[in-house]
Amino acid sequence: MNTVTDKLANRRNVLRGMIGGAAVTVGLPFLDGFLNSHGTALAATGAALPVCFGTWYQGLGFNVGRWLPDRVGPNFEHNVELKMFDPFKPRMNVISGTKYFMDGRPLETHSSSWQIASTGMLLTGVNSGPSLDSMIADSIGTRTRFRSLEVSLDGSRGSYSNRSGGARNPSEASPAALYARIFGPEFKDPNAADFTPDPMVMARQSVLSAVAEERRSVMGQLGASDRARLDEYFTSVRQIEHQLGLEMQKPSPLPACSMPEKIAETKVGRTVVESETNNKLLAQLMAHALACGQTRVFNVQSGGNGLRKPGSTQTWHSWTHEEPIDPVLGYQVEVTWFINWANTQFATFLHALDGLKEGSGTVLDRTTVLWQTDHGHATTHTMEMLPILMVGNASGRFKTGQHVALLGDPATRVGLTMQQAFGVPIATWGQLSNETSKTVNEILA
Amino acid sequence: MRPTPINFSKVRFALALGLGASLAACTVDAPKSAAVPAVLAGAANVGVPGLEPITRRLTPEQYENVIADVFGPAIILGGRFEPEMRVGGLLAVGSSAVSMTATGMEQYDVMARKIAAQVVDESQRKMMIPCAPAAANAPDDACVAKFMGKVGRLIYRRPLTQTELAAYVTAAHAATEKAGDFHRGLSLSLSAMLSSPKFLFRQETLEPDPRNPGTMRIDAYAKAARLSFFLWNAGPDQALLAAAESGALNTAKGLAGEVDRMLASPRLETGVRAFFTDNFGFDEFALLTKDVVLFPKFSPRVAADAQEQTLKTIVDLLLKNRGDYRDVFTTKKTFMTQELGAVYRVPVINDGPNGAPDAWQPFEFSADDPRGGILTQVAFTSLHSPPGRGSPTLRGKALREVILCQKVPAPPAAVSFNIVQDTHHPIYKTARERLTAHATESMCTGCHKIIDPMGLALENFDGAGAYRTTENGQPINTSGALDGVPFDGAAKLGQVIHDHPATSACLVNRLASYALGQQLPAGDAWLKDSTAFFATNGYRLADLMRRLATSDGFYRLKPPAEAPKAQSASAASAQ
Amino acid sequence: MSVVLTARTHALPFKLAVLATAALTVSVLALPGVAAAETRTFVVGYFGQATHNVQDSECPAGINPDVTVQYLKNLVTLGYSQAEIDKMVNQSADNEGGSVNEIMRMRGRVNGQPTNPYAYPASVTDPKLNAMTGGKYAYGFDLDGKGAESPKAFEDPETHQAGVDNEMARAFGCSRAFRGSVNARSAYWSWAWAQLKDSQPAWVITITGADLAKDGDVTVTFDRALHYLKSNIDGTPRADTTYRIDPDPRSHNVLPGRLKDGVIQITEHGSFRMLQNPMVVNDFKLTNTHMRLNLKPDGTLDGILGGYQLWADIYSGFAHSAPAMEVCITGDIPGLYYLLKRHADAQPDPKTGENSAISTSYTLMAVPAFVVSPDGKLAGGG
Repeated sequence: MNTVTDKLANRRNVLRGMIGGAAVTVGLPFLDGFLNSHGTALAATGAALPVCFGTWYQGLGFNVGRWLPDRVGPNFEHNVELKMFDPFKPRMNVISGTKYFMDGRPLETHSSSWQIASTGMLLTGVNSGPSLDSMIADSIGTRTRFRSLEVSLDGSRGSYSNRSGGARNPSEASPAALYARIFGPEFKDPNAADFTPDPMVMARQSVLSAVAEERRSVMGQLGASDRARLDEYFTSVRQIEHQLGLEMQKPSPLPACSMPEKIAETKVGRTVVESETNNKLLAQLMAHALACGQTRVFNVQSGGNGLRKPGSTQTWHSWTHEEPIDPVLGYQVEVTWFINWANTQFATFLHALDGLKEGSGTVLDRTTVLWQTDHGHATTHTMEMLPILMVGNASGRFKTGQHVALLGDPATRVGLTMQQAFGVPIATWGQLSNETSKTVNEILA
Repeated sequence: MRPTPINFSKVRFALALGLGASLAACTVDAPKSAAVPAVLAGAANVGVPGLEPITRRLTPEQYENVIADVFGPAIILGGRFEPEMRVGGLLAVGSSAVSMTATGMEQYDVMARKIAAQVVDESQRKMMIPCAPAAANAPDDACVAKFMGKVGRLIYRRPLTQTELAAYVTAAHAATEKAGDFHRGLSLSLSAMLSSPKFLFRQETLEPDPRNPGTMRIDAYAKAARLSFFLWNAGPDQALLAAAESGALNTAKGLAGEVDRMLASPRLETGVRAFFTDNFGFDEFALLTKDVVLFPKFSPRVAADAQEQTLKTIVDLLLKNRGDYRDVFTTKKTFMTQELGAVYRVPVINDGPNGAPDAWQPFEFSADDPRGGILTQVAFTSLHSPPGRGSPTLRGKALREVILCQKVPAPPAAVSFNIVQDTHHPIYKTARERLTAHATESMCTGCHKIIDPMGLALENFDGAGAYRTTENGQPINTSGALDGVPFDGAAKLGQVIHDHPATSACLVNRLASYALGQQLPAGDAWLKDSTAFFATNGYRLADLMRRLATSDGFYRLKPPAEAPKAQSASAASAQ
Repeated sequence: MSVVLTARTHALPFKLAVLATAALTVSVLALPGVAAAETRTFVVGYFGQATHNVQDSECPAGINPDVTVQYLKNLVTLGYSQAEIDKMVNQSADNEGGSVNEIMRMRGRVNGQPTNPYAYPASVTDPKLNAMTGGKYAYGFDLDGKGAESPKAFEDPETHQAGVDNEMARAFGCSRAFRGSVNARSAYWSWAWAQLKDSQPAWVITITGADLAKDGDVTVTFDRALHYLKSNIDGTPRADTTYRIDPDPRSHNVLPGRLKDGVIQITEHGSFRMLQNPMVVNDFKLTNTHMRLNLKPDGTLDGILGGYQLWADIYSGFAHSAPAMEVCITGDIPGLYYLLKRHADAQPDPKTGENSAISTSYTLMAVPAFVVSPDGKLAGGG
């Protein structure tokens, strides 16, 4: 066989044979097809670039009445507080109205929300569940150098990424240190590196090959319409074989992979000035790390609580408690400054991912970043009417450009949806009232 | 067609001729008292020779139940099952039409590997696998054969053929060599079995019928599967497979014995719940939304509890108390949680500690309470309402279609619903007034006359199922008539539904269609006979299920148009 | 007396045959010696200090500064030079406010030694925070009975009663986090409620009278439930939920009162005690208790609860969450100590003559609920 088209032609002949109902003995192994999900031929170099997932945890929410979009569904307009995301609007969803449920458990104001946002439950020591990013990393990130990368913008080493049992993945706060970790001497150019196929993939291929004949025997006794249905089954199986086939090949070159310039030490701290500087650098590093296939999952702890303006000991968090609501404007002015600032940082990060072009797309195009917060209303620290943002459709895994209202539903619906879209094999997620088996179908492609 | 005035005795006659026909006409010029279902349409088509053999995809619940039966309930599966499809009011019928997309297959593949990995996990394998390999890193075909043969019987719902078993042994052998680990190899072979079409699809195998030479029948294993999915919503257990293997299932006595055993099992409740969940379309709760401003109490928990309340009501009445099916429309007995109590505005006392999950409590409405029967429960009234209001039309339509098996035509195109939807209309304060104004549009009148009166009787329940006596300050009028029988209020409507002959006939039709995965033709003699049996035996659900499952009509088969070539092929399920 | 009327004979919970439409207003059969009575039950959906701060003129000496500024003042008080302070502030930008915060967390002085200022507030020099000296209005009651003659009396903004004693309103009325009104609840109290409402056992109210649609004698009972307040999906308190009373006698208050024109005023002014979660005053106690409750046409209830409260209890509610509470909310916790001490107006200590209690008022709102007695009977029967 010479070309992909030849193989395809043969495959089609085989299929026709089966539809015709004949018990055809097929000598052709089932493993060498090259079909994408539409059944069309896929050039060996045309394999899709891997999808990526990131979280962005920003404390203290938004101002009630200043972020909720004007209408539900597509064609919404961003409210004032989210205007900086206008360039991403067709590629993002705003999800409103969800809650974290305490179920009568004592509230530890800031940690309870994060626990539910990241793990779907209040942590219970060694029984604590893994965070959603690590579940997704298990699905999409097992073959990369780093299972996930965590960074913080507030100088801390904390993160909301953990495996079962509650041990946290520490964040890197220093861009220089992150540079050394990713692009230091251990870095291997993925486009130059040797390729060793995963023996488990080979094992799966051999299994599919061994049972192929046995499976086809199901067609024997079927009526015509059932045969057509089962034929779809076999088309879908070939898609899996195709994916395995791709995994057996050296991955396609990563077109946007390049070494970023070495980064000098910067000051790590909790003022907005330091945070802003480091965010720019960390965003570039993360974009390059994704472009170079070093990881497929990342977590950003943007913080909130401890951030302050230079020269002030008053933090964003303390402003939320202490600042009176401006009687004319109807919101807390200082708090609003911080919200605007923080959103601008997120937009900067997104622009960095979007700035790395890969063919006709960008790194952001094959990524989804999930933005979550701890409170629906910072002044009262309530955990209702939460804003959730997601940007990027992970190469078409999500439908974007919508405002989806999930009034009163657990926020875990979104986490469940993310995990399922990235192939995590779970049907339900969360505990007690935070448990859900309802995905947000509006955003699933 | 011109409907004529009718009373129930005529309806009964009409039903005998053809149930499930469409209310095709909804004629605009229908006389005032003649809002009649067009059940006369269709006419007699009695004595259908047989049914097409069908292949059904396992539903998510069935998949889950089989895995739990084979490997224990602690196995975590997961993944996103493919969407189901409703045909003729039932997902069970739709399961005969759906296939498998690439995305769905990917999920089944992932689930299968996840399940298999748990089965061979070091902590589990001693319990799960009846043998240990000779070496941990080398193939052991005998051990694989032993294990796969054992679980394969439950997964394939029949013994594996030698060819099939050999394929899985070969698969495990090859995978073990590649992965360098016996259990990894075994787990990949098992996962291939769990994503096999022979597991995921319920194919019914035919064999020549020795009693009627020249004709075919479904074989005993296919019979066993029909029974178990019908009665338990799960695969056959070992005892049922043994009855198939011994041929007992092909004897009247053996079949009756197995059916009785299954009906006596607590698993019957699982099966009954699955049927009513499907029949009532509770899957649509997943897409149900309510306006939070108007219905702030309608939480996801309320929605979940509301479905469970209706199912509990039914199970308690029909199974635990062996009651009359028709009483589900009148019973004052139900169950409450604290969450539901807030919607019903009734006290619900439980003894759980602070924050404990709501516990179910038995509850009985007083004799004069407007609530009674499942139509007045939150599940029905809220499911058949748009986000911001109640809807007599949607509720009336659901009642006609789900409870009475009568098809209501879709509204004509280009109709304005402005008045109907305007709950703040300055003139038309109540839904009745709005619908009356709307239905003056001539093309709407006919259908609305047939569907609205029953819905209007439920107008005391708002869009989230809470009780009310006024709308926009106007008292709500809940009087109406169903097929000529007048009533006032939801409780009386329940009584009219209770007494309506289509109610029980519809249940028989739906239950049989559910069990067989296909819509049964109008006028099917077996259905008629089953309906008569149901009526003369106290309308008991379990008795009806026994009758269906033990009757020949349940297994009759029309051979496929094309002779099954696989009969002669080596890969067919020869034993 | 506690009136838990259980005249109906249904065995709960197996046959709760309650007419759904009339579940909230349940007439009960006569008990011996008691006229036919009506019972209405509620769950408290908000509770916090009643504040009425509407204009800056209430604070002629100014609103107390936020914590940043107050800490700088405290540094001066502690004897740091301006140069030292400037240096520290510059450094604090580098080390996350570290040195200033560290000093503040040990700013008390006992024999010249740094001391925890929250546990020993008297070890801190009084920062002399401003009190509300310019305001005319405060919610509450004429507790001392002196009427408008009382030198420090306020006028109630709702009832316009003169002679209202509410020195806590005066003490906290110029601290940002406490300033608020009916329409814009204070940042501190609304935050505190939001933290508590989903986890602390709810408070329930039972009102019994011959006919609650008419004027007459009533009994108001406050109890603590075993369950936390249930909320609607928009976060508002959920009506018509069932709560069971905690048998703990510490949170059981029976208050005789009189209903007139839809407003209940209690007529005996004894003590009042309810347990709360420890983030606020964990043992809420009043003496000379006054209360008015408005039975509103929509079935809900709101009202004002007033009386004298031990100011040490109020202080400890803030102090045991310090220093986090200080940075977040109050600006200066020892400053609040001095404010409370200075404005205390009742219950003088027999030895020192110093007042141990302060006049205060709280606002509450409640929604209809079903209330079940500790022995499982529905209040008002069933």
